[in-house]
Amino acid sequence: MFDMIGNIFKNLGTKPATRCYPLEKREPFKASRGRVKGVEIEKCIFCGICSRKCPADAIRVDRNAKSWEIDPFKCVICGACVEVCPKKCILMDETYTQPSTAKDKLTYIQESKEESQSQAG
Amino acid sequence: MIENVQNISVESLLRYVHDMLFNGYRFITATSVDNGDGTVDVLYHFDKDLEMKHLRITVNKQEEIPSISGIYFGAVLVENEMKELFGLNIKNIVIDYGGHMLLSDDELEAPMARQITIINKDKGGVPQ
Amino acid sequence: MSNKTVIPFGPQHPVLPEPLQLKLVMQDERIVEAIPAIGYVHRGLEKLTETKEFTQNVFVIERICGICSFKHALAYCQGMESLMGIEVPDRARFLRVIWGELHRMHSHLLWLGLLADAFGFESLFMQVWRDREKVMDIMEETAGSRVIISTNQIGGTRRDIAPEMLAKIDSVVNEVKEDVERVEKVFCNDYTVKHRMVGIGVLSKENAKLWGAVGPMARGSGIAEDVRTLGYAAYNELDLEPVVETDGDCYARMKVRLREVYQSVDLIRQAIAKIPDGPIHVPEKGNPNGEVISRVEQPRGEALYYMRANGSKTLDRLRVRTPTFANIPALLKMLPGHQLADVPILILTIDPCISCTER
Ligand code: SF4
Ligand code: SF4
Repeated sequence: MFDMIGNIFKNLGTKPATRCYPLEKREPFKASRGRVKGVEIEKCIFCGICSRKCPADAIRVDRNAKSWEIDPFKCVICGACVEVCPKKCILMDETYTQPSTAKDKLTYIQESKEESQSQAG
Repeated sequence: MIENVQNISVESLLRYVHDMLFNGYRFITATSVDNGDGTVDVLYHFDKDLEMKHLRITVNKQEEIPSISGIYFGAVLVENEMKELFGLNIKNIVIDYGGHMLLSDDELEAPMARQITIINKDKGGVPQ
Repeated sequence: MSNKTVIPFGPQHPVLPEPLQLKLVMQDERIVEAIPAIGYVHRGLEKLTETKEFTQNVFVIERICGICSFKHALAYCQGMESLMGIEVPDRARFLRVIWGELHRMHSHLLWLGLLADAFGFESLFMQVWRDREKVMDIMEETAGSRVIISTNQIGGTRRDIAPEMLAKIDSVVNEVKEDVERVEKVFCNDYTVKHRMVGIGVLSKENAKLWGAVGPMARGSGIAEDVRTLGYAAYNELDLEPVVETDGDCYARMKVRLREVYQSVDLIRQAIAKIPDGPIHVPEKGNPNGEVISRVEQPRGEALYYMRANGSKTLDRLRVRTPTFANIPALLKMLPGHQLADVPILILTIDPCISCTER
């Protein structure tokens, strides 16, 4: 019966185990799989390996239109695409995806030698 | 590949399972595999001191299979599952959900079995 | 004699983390019969695996269960490796043990918290979950994710753990062990806790075997069976003795899980001491062909994987028998004769994982 009381007094003396979340955020661990941030489109060769290996079918690569598109809401953040990409041009970020009000896709289109990025709905 | 598999007939299934119980085996589970030619393999897995033994029966889709849940109560869930997902005709399960353990009324019948999806145009159905 | 009433228990109930419904046929306060209704979270993952490539399946399999994701992937990878004749590098085998046991620790700590919650001991619940957070942090730091750590792949592991990280794991698990020792006293000696659990839900050794109970449930009834003793991964090189209690009641099952936390700490430390250097992955070649069965010991008990491949990139059939699937029949047989108030504890001591069960 008194075992718990010991614990309770110990807890009273220490500071809370939780953080005041929005005010105080934990640094994300390095190498954490947070989200797929996007692709360095100028490096991409549109081989399509990433889209074939993706278990969630979240990536669409179009060789002719030179576009690379990811649906962040389908992505399960497994990191398989990042590993298989021969050019290592898919970027993984260690922060988590923020909530969003619309199911936007991230589209990148390679323009001849120029980089561009557009958000499509 | 799998060791200790014994191919038996459907009629002798209950006898073999009784033997297993008599010899102190624990029932692990059963597995059904659609062979794609209208027959289904059902494997019953048993274990004694971490040594596995398997019984395999091969049945036609409509053939009656006796339930072993009267011998091993642990087979209740798996037999219901096979009945629903593969459309096997398992008789006399101790607790029979009549095909509604996992699936609801308007679902495709036997979704795990290989099948050609029939689109019912009159009802405006969509392919699954 | 009064009439019988049927009380639905669940699918939404404060003690149930997942949707399981039990229809309890009651006579006064006593249960006469229990009938389960599952199917609330059936996702058809077995069917899904037939459409994905066998390498992609690892990611599907991991999502069968949130708590023991690593062990599911391990069972699948081991099956595939034996089908394709892949020899896994030594370092990968040890890494698998380390992550696997971390998973067992966090699962058991989660369960202990839930149990405390079920008998209404909120502060104990918080205490245990706070200690669990340390394990989760290691997981995120080493693997990149808290729960679905996704570090298994066919032929080895996807990530390595650096030596300084191994040293850190060693000290953190030791810390967790000390923390758990502190709450263990409460779990084992507290009057109210004992009052709720001793002698409740007794499962005899014979019945446990007959109804096919697995894992801590069987071990709580005196069956010394632990699939890890078969020596998959690197367990053959580690010192391992199944944790057994003989009483077969809720209290015994709780003690098994408590002691398994210590066992995991011990196994992790042994593995860290013995881990060899070397590669962590060998690439797979070709496609699998044939049938195989693979078993692993998950935190909740033995899981069985059956795979049939046909030499193409997709599998013919993948069957998963998860531990809760085997434990539910025993639960149904255990319930009759008990008071309604004992039902939450009884259900919890089988450590139900319904999304595993239905897949
Ligand atoms: S794998 Fe890499 S290079 Fe190939 S299409 Fe994907 S992003 Fe581009
Ligand atoms: S992280 Fe995984 S799920 Fe997400 S896009 Fe890459 S491969 Fe697909």
